[in-house]
Amino acid sequence: MAKQLGRDQQGITLRGSAEIVAEFFSYGINSILYQRGIYPPETFTRVQKYGLTLLITTDPELKNYLNNVVEQMKEWLYKCIVQRLVVVISSIENNEVLERWQFDIECDKTAKDESAPREKSQKAIQDEIRSVIRQITATVTFLPLLETACAFDLLIYTDKDLAVPEKWEESGPQFIANSEEVRLRSFTTTIHKVNSMVAYKKDSFP
Amino acid sequence: MEDLEDNTTVFSTLRSLNNFISQRMEGVSGLATPGSSQSSLQIQYQQRVQLEEQAGQIHSKSQLLQVEREKMQMELSHKRARIELEKAANTNARNYEREADRNQELLTRIKQYQERETEAENKLKEQMEMNKSYKKSMETMSKKLQEKESKLAEANETITVLKGKISELQWNIMNQEMQMTSQDSQKQELMEQLDVQHKKWQEASQQIQTLQASQSLLAEYEQKIKDLEQKFSQQEHDALIVKNMKAELARFPKMERELRQLREENAYFREMKENNGLLKEEVEGLQRKLERYEKVQAQLVTVELENEKLLGRLKSWEKLDQSTGLNIRTPDDLSRQIVALQQRELALKEQNSTITNSARILEKARQQLQEEILRIQSQLLDEKKKREQHEALVRRLQKRVLLLTKERDGMRAILESYDSELTPSEHSPQLNRRMREAEEMVQKLHAHNTELELEVEMKILKSQENTAEQSTVITKEEVDALRLKIEELEAERSKLEEEKRSLEMKLEKLTLQGDYDPSRTKVLHFSMNPASLAKQQRKEEQQQLQEECERLRELVRVLEGGGSIPGSLEGVGNFQSPQEIAELKKQVESAELKNQRLKEVFQTKIQEFRKVCYTLTGYQIDITTENQYRLTSIYAEHQGDCLLFKASSSSGGKMQLLETEFSRTIRELIELHLLHQDSIPAFLSALTLDLFSRQTVA
Repeated sequence: MAKQLGRDQQGITLRGSAEIVAEFFSYGINSILYQRGIYPPETFTRVQKYGLTLLITTDPELKNYLNNVVEQMKEWLYKCIVQRLVVVISSIENNEVLERWQFDIECDKTAKDESAPREKSQKAIQDEIRSVIRQITATVTFLPLLETACAFDLLIYTDKDLAVPEKWEESGPQFIANSEEVRLRSFTTTIHKVNSMVAYKKDSFP
Repeated sequence: MEDLEDNTTVFSTLRSLNNFISQRMEGVSGLATPGSSQSSLQIQYQQRVQLEEQAGQIHSKSQLLQVEREKMQMELSHKRARIELEKAANTNARNYEREADRNQELLTRIKQYQERETEAENKLKEQMEMNKSYKKSMETMSKKLQEKESKLAEANETITVLKGKISELQWNIMNQEMQMTSQDSQKQELMEQLDVQHKKWQEASQQIQTLQASQSLLAEYEQKIKDLEQKFSQQEHDALIVKNMKAELARFPKMERELRQLREENAYFREMKENNGLLKEEVEGLQRKLERYEKVQAQLVTVELENEKLLGRLKSWEKLDQSTGLNIRTPDDLSRQIVALQQRELALKEQNSTITNSARILEKARQQLQEEILRIQSQLLDEKKKREQHEALVRRLQKRVLLLTKERDGMRAILESYDSELTPSEHSPQLNRRMREAEEMVQKLHAHNTELELEVEMKILKSQENTAEQSTVITKEEVDALRLKIEELEAERSKLEEEKRSLEMKLEKLTLQGDYDPSRTKVLHFSMNPASLAKQQRKEEQQQLQEECERLRELVRVLEGGGSIPGSLEGVGNFQSPQEIAELKKQVESAELKNQRLKEVFQTKIQEFRKVCYTLTGYQIDITTENQYRLTSIYAEHQGDCLLFKASSSSGGKMQLLETEFSRTIRELIELHLLHQDSIPAFLSALTLDLFSRQTVA
């Protein structure tokens, strides 16, 4: 917390904003994996963050994968070339996409590294992030049950002219065929604005 | 060699020349004739000249040859020198390269040594720093040592002080020991006193105990007295109660009599109450009737009054007939008259309404005509205004035209003047100046012109405003037309807004679903992502399961076929725990072994038993079919002599003899033993004896 108080006095720089957003994605994706039961609950451990008790995974392979993706996201957020992050949850047996958690990112391109830091307090950003994560937890009440075994994938929408790094490849958008969408809260660091929404497959029974 | 030959030729020719000259000289000297000497001298001179020329030629040839030889030699030497130089150059180059390499090596070594130097310096510095730090620590340690020594000195001092204290304390202890002994003696005296006191206390306690016992007895007696007093008081109470009861009992029969009387009165009163109730209901009913009748009476009175009034009115109505002069005798006529009047009224009203409608239509027409008039008036005014505006425009334009023409004339004049002036002389700076002045004039005039136009427009606007107020009515038509346009435009706008809203909704829905513009964005994901890993795992699992399935199917087929389990499939059975299988196999083998051993044992035993039976009883018993037993005697005469017995019951208790060839020969025995005596053992033993006797006799 001491570091963040120090940042508070300095204001939000482009790099700082990229770090905040990447951190939010890391904890947000972990929360989604726990809430939707993609991985068994006993593989998660509790940590304190944003004034909440959040659960993050202890599986080393999964941790490694998430770290890779989040580090890459941080770089791309710093360069302002990433537009969207999508968590796709699909059934393992028939590869059908059941849920899509989409986070749109609007980047203020005028804020380069040399410009002055923006005035927004860490506490305000944390409050906004906290409300988004609480809302993610609350959406579990109306989302349909995932009965089959599921796996997840992370898709990142970037500018067309970006060079694809090693270990990454192009993929389809993985839409849901017959979906209901719900728009959730958003938060902004005055440099990056993140809008959240969730789309889920409509139940066949009314 | 040529040179030598040439030289020899040269020398030989020289020698020949010299010889010839000497000969000629001798010849000349020998002759000594003047006349011929001149010719001979000339001839000699010519010969000499020729010889000298020859010699010169030869010399020059020899020189040429020499030079050529030298040249060849030079060339050769040049070539050799070149070759050698090239070799030398190569060697030099190689040396140079080697030197360069060595140089580089040396440079690298120098660098390394420099680096090592720097490292050594750094280490030196570090060592120095460490030294310094050690020195500092040493200093601190020495300081600490000093402090500790000081502390030690202090401690020593304290030790001496303490030692003094100890000696004092020891002196105190001695004193106290003395006091202790004195106190001990005191204590002993006190102990003796204590014993005495103790004995006294014991006596006192005993007395106390006796006193307590007597006190307890006293208490008991007192309690008994109290109990007895209580009982006495209770008995007195009881006596009083008994007396009261007696008095009450005396009253009892009286009470019974009274009770009876009261019951009778009660019954009488209930009857009376019922009667009362009935009478009350009757009274109420009569009261109600009374009320009704009173009401009816009052109504009667009022009705009579009304009746009188109505009769009066009727009379007046009948009088009407006489007063109005119409043919009215009855109310029916009156009603007919009224109906007729009403019809007339209706007709009149209709006329009235038609007239009013026509009046309204005429008014509307009048208003429309008025509006038309107004519109036409407004158009007229508009036309007038436009005409005025046009006239003003025209005037302005005329003024402008005038000004422009003036300018143009001025400019033309200037130009003409310049042209006229140009031909004699060139005054270019003057010309430029005049040009500039003319331009400035023109600009000023333009500005003045625009100002004047603005003023005029303002005046016109003001005049327009003044006229606009007057012409509000006139422009109503324009306003209406404009309003219609506005409405149409607004309708279009609303439609467009709705379209925009619907498109925005669609766009929103698509972005929520995750749509994107392929020309501007692309979708990336990590190659080793959990979904693909899960798919792979599932595929592998599926493959494994399929393979297992196939193996198991083969195994099942083999087992159903009954064949031995091939070694390759035995591995399949290892899906269960191999330990159980090994145990089961062992059990199976041991069971089979047991079976086999038992079989062998049984076989031997059976054979033994049969042999024994044969030897002891003299008959070999064979089982031919299910229940038939064939007996062959040991003393049988022929091989095929046998008896057949059949078991009639399944357990073999009852046997019957069947017919065989041999049994026909021994009919008497059968009749005797089986039919008469009904004993198979007797028959068989008789048969044995008979056969034995036959055998031995035979």
